[in-house]
Amino acid sequence: MGCDIITVSADTKFVHLAWKKSEKELAGVRYPMASDPTGRIGRMFGVYDENTGLNLRGTFIINPEGKLLNSEVNFYNLGRNIDEMMRKFKANIYMTRKANEACPSKWKDDGDKTLVNPGAKMVGKVHEALNS
Amino acid sequence: MSEAVSGLKLGQIVPEFELETYDPVKDDFGKFRLQDQIAGKRWTALFFYPADFTFV
Repeated sequence: MGCDIITVSADTKFVHLAWKKSEKELAGVRYPMASDPTGRIGRMFGVYDENTGLNLRGTFIINPEGKLLNSEVNFYNLGRNIDEMMRKFKANIYMTRKANEACPSKWKDDGDKTLVNPGAKMVGKVHEALNS
Repeated sequence: MSEAVSGLKLGQIVPEFELETYDPVKDDFGKFRLQDQIAGKRWTALFFYPADFTFV
């Protein structure tokens, strides 16, 4: 699919290594774990909390041209849904291939119903478009 | 001196940046560079979280 996940926290790379090796829940982790101890990148994305020195739970999807296409930020106590992140990844990649289609709220994967050529003719007729 | 930055806006081109990493596949330290992703024409998801050795 040509996409990479990178996790980021304010912990050093040494802590990432130690955590990966000791926590069995991370046994399947294959993605790079990045370290942002000064908060420079966290601040750039608007998730660095100056009071705690920690990052909020933010996920950002960047396309191959470097454009930021998606952002989701949760407070500390709410975990993100990985299925939703994959859905957004897939939707963004699909819409890059099919520039005239939009992925509606129930879209989950390639093959699901999309809105084709949304435009003046679809105004007020989205129900028909989704159910045709 | 730094500007108060509330975060990047959607649709904005993300400035190039680099972060040190631990790579579990190589079991070694490395570097993540946004410019490498763009050069390789790859999508990127950045997943920020508060701290290692915590729960969720």
